Amino acid sequence: MPPLIYADNNATTPVAPEVRAAMAPFFDDQYFNPSSMYDAARAVRQAIEAARHQVATLLGGITPEQILFTSCATESNNAALFGAVRANPGRRHIITTAVEHPAVLEVCKELARNGLDVTFLPVDRRGQLDLAEFIRALRPDTLLVSVMHANNETGVIFPVAELARIAKETNPGILFHTDATQTVGKLPIDLSTEYAQVDLLSFSGHKLHAPKGVGALFIKRGTPLRPYLIGGHQENSRRGGTENVPYIVGLATACRLAGEHLAEEHKVGTLRDELEERILANVSFVEVNGHGAPRLPNTLNLAVHAIEGESILFELDAAGICASSGSACTSGSLEPSHVLRAMQVPFTAMHGSVRFSLSRYTTAAETAVIATVFPEVVARLRRVSPYWDHARNRLAADIPNPAAGTPHR
Amino acid sequence: MAWEYSEKTRQLFMDAVHGKPGTHMGEIEDPDGFGEHGSIVCGDALRFSFRVKRHPADPTQDVITEARYLTFGCTSAIAASEALCAIIEAGGFTPLQALKVTNQEIVKYLDGLPNQKVHCSVMGAEALEAAVFNWAQKRGVDLAKHGVTLGGEKDNDGRIVCTCFSLSEPYIKAKIRELNLHSIPEITNAIKAGGACMSCHHAPGGLQDLLDDAWGPRPTSLKASPTAPASPEPVAPTSVPAPLSAWQLGKKVEKAVDDYIRPILKKDGGDIEIVDIKDALIYCRLKGACAGCAGAATTLKLMVERTLKEQVDERIRVIAV
Repeated sequence: MPPLIYADNNATTPVAPEVRAAMAPFFDDQYFNPSSMYDAARAVRQAIEAARHQVATLLGGITPEQILFTSCATESNNAALFGAVRANPGRRHIITTAVEHPAVLEVCKELARNGLDVTFLPVDRRGQLDLAEFIRALRPDTLLVSVMHANNETGVIFPVAELARIAKETNPGILFHTDATQTVGKLPIDLSTEYAQVDLLSFSGHKLHAPKGVGALFIKRGTPLRPYLIGGHQENSRRGGTENVPYIVGLATACRLAGEHLAEEHKVGTLRDELEERILANVSFVEVNGHGAPRLPNTLNLAVHAIEGESILFELDAAGICASSGSACTSGSLEPSHVLRAMQVPFTAMHGSVRFSLSRYTTAAETAVIATVFPEVVARLRRVSPYWDHARNRLAADIPNPAAGTPHR
Repeated sequence: MAWEYSEKTRQLFMDAVHGKPGTHMGEIEDPDGFGEHGSIVCGDALRFSFRVKRHPADPTQDVITEARYLTFGCTSAIAASEALCAIIEAGGFTPLQALKVTNQEIVKYLDGLPNQKVHCSVMGAEALEAAVFNWAQKRGVDLAKHGVTLGGEKDNDGRIVCTCFSLSEPYIKAKIRELNLHSIPEITNAIKAGGACMSCHHAPGGLQDLLDDAWGPRPTSLKASPTAPASPEPVAPTSVPAPLSAWQLGKKVEKAVDDYIRPILKKDGGDIEIVDIKDALIYCRLKGACAGCAGAATTLKLMVERTLKEQVDERIRVIAV
């Protein structure tokens, strides 16, 4: 087997060795329940507060009490949305986008089923929101706006700080939530200045080299929110359940490391840009999803015409390259990604998406291998494809596009 | 989800894609039989063709000597296409005999397929059927006389049940019986129906009804229980009930902008765009030379807001976007 090249960091990341080391004592002699009264437990309690401080530091040096530790970003999102709805019964309208992660999108659909009014903002071909559309959606009874900071599939960045400001200036009673799972540690986020209008911000540890099973929710002081996990008095009575001490310490260490490496994120961007250029130069009929929009420096999402994403992934896997796809065959459903559908990717490339997502551990040697292997894979699969014009070496003309409702058999 | 393909499936895919000698990827020029199934929109499609050794007197004695495919689809779709051609060529079948090759045989040849990939093998069987139909037309063979009814071709008409994959009631009904499908997941795995928006599952005349028609209603049928209306699609934003003065306010704002504000900005090579007005909130952005100006926010707040307050309504607030 060839050496593994991991280019799926938007799915999860390897745990940093420093993180693992920092967690270790809390599996060994520092096992005490942080709520216990004896002196030995106090050190554990202090480790949690030190961790809270480290996370707050990465997010602009805000007051640490505003950080709530959770089990994952999905829990953070659920806690933010359900918590906000329960605390604000007078308002019944939510604004979100059509391209949110399921951890927000499905919660919003659930809230809609429970009688709330939800506006799903569309995106354009580049994956961007229309500001005028957002403004039009704001209503006197709008309770919450939930817009992701950057899209996990395409890496397209939304102007969250500006949207939050507009929402607050329109009506200070509107709460603003952002799912920042893909941006914390990759983009500078200062919740005390530029992002000061954001009330709620979710993220998870395993996207920034902490392990799976820990996340956080920023709750701005004074934000009306009901607890989601009801139980003991932990986390200032905002989340019951004994604190997951080793993982909280791991998350904090990962945040500290991310802060130290933030200035180097442009190096990841350079690698991505080179990879993108080489692929575009060597593969015809391929598009960059989100091209022309501000994007995360680590993400490259390609729409390849005339071939299917799952078989691309399989071929890449055989070459030791880990990537992902929004194709129907890689999801639980038979539909291609809701993000690419919302962006109206052409139907001849809708099933042919591939996402490479890099990290600070990705090397130039690795992206060079991807840049060499990927065009070969595309060429091989196109030889098998009925939608490739083999004589002219281009996308076949006149591919039928059966509209929904028209029988084709 | 991770791959759960058999070693055979993996190997066939790799052999096919890497053009190993003896594999069947390609197209036959002037084929004796040609059939297609699926579409690029649905995520997989197979183009299948074969050549026969023609019998001088009796076309039904033609023997398939060569089978080829081009496939758009996932690993298992390509492997299933390869399996189909291998089975057909190895069998030395007449086209009528080839029709007896079922999707189960393809699955067997592949040493099994994950449930959610069974439709890849069905696609092979469907394309084969279409190709035999094409051969019969070319060779003047009346399939009906040989006891063959080609479900797919005859059921072109009929009510569409699954709009996502354009599958009609007669087609789904035929497949429920032919492939012995007893539940909605089985239908989805075999022919993809109901695999996308899922709105046809328990709708009147939907998949559960077709299953009940075929096998009799089951006590566990969800049909009777009310289902919450799903709203998977983005909903158009509902507009705010507008107070009566909105139009007049808008006109007045526009006039004040034209008369007082725009001329001042134009002097500096700038301009202003009103993005939206709701109640007394004016959303606008500075354009031209003003757009990048450090004082833009101050300009908007002070000059534009003050002017509009004076000229139009004291309640007005300006929001820069």
